[in-house]
Amino acid sequence: MTTIPSHKKFLVIDDNPMMRKVMRDILYTLEIENIVEANNAQNAIAALKKNKFDVILCDFNLGYGKNGLHLLEEIRHRKLLPLHTVFIMVTGEQSQTMVLGAMEVKPDEYLTKPFNPQLLKTRILKNFNRKSFLSEVDVEINRGNWASAIERCDALLKQENNRWRTQLLKIRADLAIQTGDYDAASKIYQDVLNKRELTWARLGLGIIYFQQKKYEQAEQIFAELVDKNPMQMECYDWLSQTYLKNDLPLQSEETLSRAIELSPLAILRQRKLAKTADKNQHPEISEQAYQAVVKLGRFSIHKNSADYAGLAKIYQKTGKYQKALETVDAMRSEYTSNPDALLWSNLLAAECFQNLGNHKRADETLAQLGDLAEKHHHALPKELQLDLAKSCFLNQQTEHGVEILDSLIKNHIDDETLMDDIKAMQCDIDRDEHAESLIHAIRQQLIDINNQGVKLFRQGQINEAITLFQQAVEKMPYNKTIILNMAKIALYDLKNSDFDNTKLSLTQEFIRKAKKIGVDAQKLNAIQLELNQFINQQGNANAH
Amino acid sequence: MPIDHQQHFASVLASTVHDIKNSLGIQQQLIQKIALILDESNNPDITQLKFESNRMNHSMMQLLILYKIESHKFNLEIDEYPALDILEEVQAQHASLFQSNGINLLTECPDDLMSYLDFTHISNALGTILNNAQRYSRQKVLLSATLQKAFICFAIEDDGMGYPAEFLNIDLSNIHKMDWVTGSTGLGLHFVLNIAALHTNMNQCGYIKIDNESRLGGARFRLFLPN
Repeated sequence: MTTIPSHKKFLVIDDNPMMRKVMRDILYTLEIENIVEANNAQNAIAALKKNKFDVILCDFNLGYGKNGLHLLEEIRHRKLLPLHTVFIMVTGEQSQTMVLGAMEVKPDEYLTKPFNPQLLKTRILKNFNRKSFLSEVDVEINRGNWASAIERCDALLKQENNRWRTQLLKIRADLAIQTGDYDAASKIYQDVLNKRELTWARLGLGIIYFQQKKYEQAEQIFAELVDKNPMQMECYDWLSQTYLKNDLPLQSEETLSRAIELSPLAILRQRKLAKTADKNQHPEISEQAYQAVVKLGRFSIHKNSADYAGLAKIYQKTGKYQKALETVDAMRSEYTSNPDALLWSNLLAAECFQNLGNHKRADETLAQLGDLAEKHHHALPKELQLDLAKSCFLNQQTEHGVEILDSLIKNHIDDETLMDDIKAMQCDIDRDEHAESLIHAIRQQLIDINNQGVKLFRQGQINEAITLFQQAVEKMPYNKTIILNMAKIALYDLKNSDFDNTKLSLTQEFIRKAKKIGVDAQKLNAIQLELNQFINQQGNANAH
Repeated sequence: MPIDHQQHFASVLASTVHDIKNSLGIQQQLIQKIALILDESNNPDITQLKFESNRMNHSMMQLLILYKIESHKFNLEIDEYPALDILEEVQAQHASLFQSNGINLLTECPDDLMSYLDFTHISNALGTILNNAQRYSRQKVLLSATLQKAFICFAIEDDGMGYPAEFLNIDLSNIHKMDWVTGSTGLGLHFVLNIAALHTNMNQCGYIKIDNESRLGGARFRLFLPN
């Protein structure tokens, strides 16, 4: 392909009408006539709902509202960006903040204005070629069919096409990591590194160490990578996570701070910094990071009421009660139709009034909670449940507080951060013994169920094991360990008995549930891979 | 403290250069708009204006990168790329310029030749040399890539008068000899040599060579990167 086929559909997104005209003229030079324009993110989304485009040219700045980064993240999240579409981020200036910010959301291409038609054409054709070569693999990855994705990838690698080899190896190694096949991934990275020291391969080795819980080796690799490649933001995130595992929270925070200094637009990293700094008793840093998160989140899919709550709590801690109240007000006006957030804002407001000595308003605000607090609290965000429990304890509703805490601990026993938060909260109000003993008891209960289940399983009493785990799932529907074991046994049962559609859907249901409550992707993908392989075999057997 | 003063001046200079570069970017966008309104084909001044603005932008970019290299704020991001992709990128970046000056830019490269390099900086480096070649060539410039033992060699050959004798005598193996850095050709070579030298593998590093052995009869520039 040396020219862009004239039937290809283009979407040009820019708030400046003159710049849209410049783009249009560039496209006319390339004999492209199928062009739709959008002057902001909202209209771009509307256009994407109506049409499938081959190329999207999106300016970084889009006036008031979402910018190009927000838009790209959102259309990916809402599945409005077809796999074959080439997304090109365009910026007017080359500031480091913008360049790194854009790189972090990984558009297919990145161009600085002004550029000439030929350069645009070259970049588009390069991406068309890449996407069409990899399309079968991309489709399977998108479907979550790991077995087929790996199969397709291996088949393409066998063609020994030099041009695509590195790209394929990157994808193949990533698929291996995603499905927990660390030996295969490690071999690919080592082979690459034997020829040349390349960042992505070294980073891959570090990630494998991390997944295998070899945190010392992982730390060494990530630290060296950050040192040698200060512009590779991904390396900072891995290093900071690894420091936490190695019980070095201060280093973890410092690593995040360095990354944010370089690339302040990354909202998820700002949020991590806000939380880590808070734990490290650095309220000024946490405050600054939370302010950034709230600001960056306004038009982002990552917007979360918990960030407002986090900021309000930091203000409380440092005695800035007025600021805390302002944040709570902002939270209310951002979430007028979200009952959870409104409940939360009232809880926080009551605490502010209490701290300001206005007990009357505190009581009134709490009274407004009324039934809301009584309602089914399992469905609320866990941080909110924790705040709710705390408010109960502080307002002589101990029984209700205990009830909330018990269910929180039961359902999230494997969430160590939350357990620490619970202990810290109980410690604050001098009730730490209760939480300690409950956490201990539930851990023991869980271990017992698991041991018993595994024992039954080993003895070949599959049905009994399934029943046991099923009962446990009913009792602790959000517990990750139990649901994961349930999925594993269901899959084993499916594979080792006559083909049964009920068993198949049971397995799929447990995998879905596990995904929903946030079980570790690698562990789930390994099960999904096994299931894919089994289904493919069944398909082949039926075809013969 | 004279050294501190120098460092201070260097960083003031660098941020000024960054500022100018941003201004030039905006200026180039404005020129692009004006070109639409005034119809560039009837106004050769606009083409000239584009060229000059582009040249300034390029020089500023070189200055900024040289500053970053010297103050250890510069890092390459090396990966494996098809050599052809690099040539196509460089060709595309300079297409308008060659077109408006009526010079033919040819490329020559095997489809499956792979190279280890920093894509952005090597295309900028080759672009710098190409810019000069375009000024001194008559009709044609040839851009090529070949594998030469453990190195990949990017060559730019033109059909002009060739490098003057004083350039051919320059010792390009020593980056630190600054006395030859005069004029845009000198600055360009200095810049490219710096970028080349940062491409290392095992104990080999990249280098450049210039001579008048062009297959088209003029100057030949070659960039060697360890493969």
